[in-house]
Amino acid sequence: MSGNSVPARFNVGDRVRVRDLPNLFYTRTQMYVRGATGVVAERTYEDLIPEDEAWNRDGAPREQFYIVRFRQKDLWSGYPFETDTLQTELPDRWLEPAGG
Amino acid sequence: MSHDHDHDDHDHDHDHGDGHVHPAAPMVEEITDFEVLEIAVCELAIEKGLFTAEDHRRFTEWAEQIGPAAGSRLVAKAWTDPAYKARVLSDPVGACKEIGIDWAEPTGSGTPSDYMNLRVLEDTPTLHHVIVCTLCSCYPRPLLGHSPYWYRSPNYRRRLIRWPRQVLAEFGLVLPPEVEVRVEDSNQKCRFMVLPVRPEGTDGWTEEQLAEIVTRDTMIGVALPRPGRTADDVRPVHKARRPVPHEGGAEAHP
Repeated sequence: MSGNSVPARFNVGDRVRVRDLPNLFYTRTQMYVRGATGVVAERTYEDLIPEDEAWNRDGAPREQFYIVRFRQKDLWSGYPFETDTLQTELPDRWLEPAGG
Repeated sequence: MSHDHDHDDHDHDHDHGDGHVHPAAPMVEEITDFEVLEIAVCELAIEKGLFTAEDHRRFTEWAEQIGPAAGSRLVAKAWTDPAYKARVLSDPVGACKEIGIDWAEPTGSGTPSDYMNLRVLEDTPTLHHVIVCTLCSCYPRPLLGHSPYWYRSPNYRRRLIRWPRQVLAEFGLVLPPEVEVRVEDSNQKCRFMVLPVRPEGTDGWTEEQLAEIVTRDTMIGVALPRPGRTADDVRPVHKARRPVPHEGGAEAHP
């Protein structure tokens, strides 16, 4: 553990959008959330992003991970139930402020 | 006794001295390439001294006996003790230690755990959680043991996030539209477990009685606990369409 980490950019309640970053060979950011907007539900822990950990880049900086909550109506076209939600976990760099 | 046949092949016939020939029965009907590979790697590792056969036996026995009993105990205790429930939600790993589960030492044989981030998802009358790992099949093994085969299937993993109510209905769980169905996709290092709503008709029950109705499926979120329901439904098992044949058997494919 090298101990360096990137400052966390988001707090619980912030609206965030999932970035569609290019990734080679490995990622844990699902295609179905790319471009979707949700709300930060929880800050979980700091760790290497999976794209670094998978390649044993132990010297890479740690980032804050967040559980982000999405409305199912915002994820899937024609989703018929108003209040259903989905949560999943994403590292800091995969998110950008959504505003509004 | 006949000695003129080859004894190296385990499928050779035995003459039991009664004049009849009895083919040796196979121990299993089919074996996968992965099971063969596992046996080969295990034997090689023992040969090279990476671990002993005794180590392997002890670890196998531990791995084969883990189940959802600890999760059931946690839920039953949370239902009867509000202070414990608060700890379950605010310090889940600490709350697990109180019921005998140490996430830092899950195997008891010194295997370290990378996964110290447990979250317990509290259901309410208007919020129902259900858990999936779309990327693989992450599961809170220290509390729930091994995941059921359906949890690991592409059928469940792909469909639950998109059509959760339809998939839950296939398990027999139909929820009214006013209840929010929240799917938790455990795609990183957090591990999740559902804390269901304590059902009606359980007033005055002991922790042991309550734990009996907290089954594995209720802690994944595909079933609701209720008095009298002490086992999960058995999922259908379909026979292999092209099983690997064993030599000499009548079922051998041409």
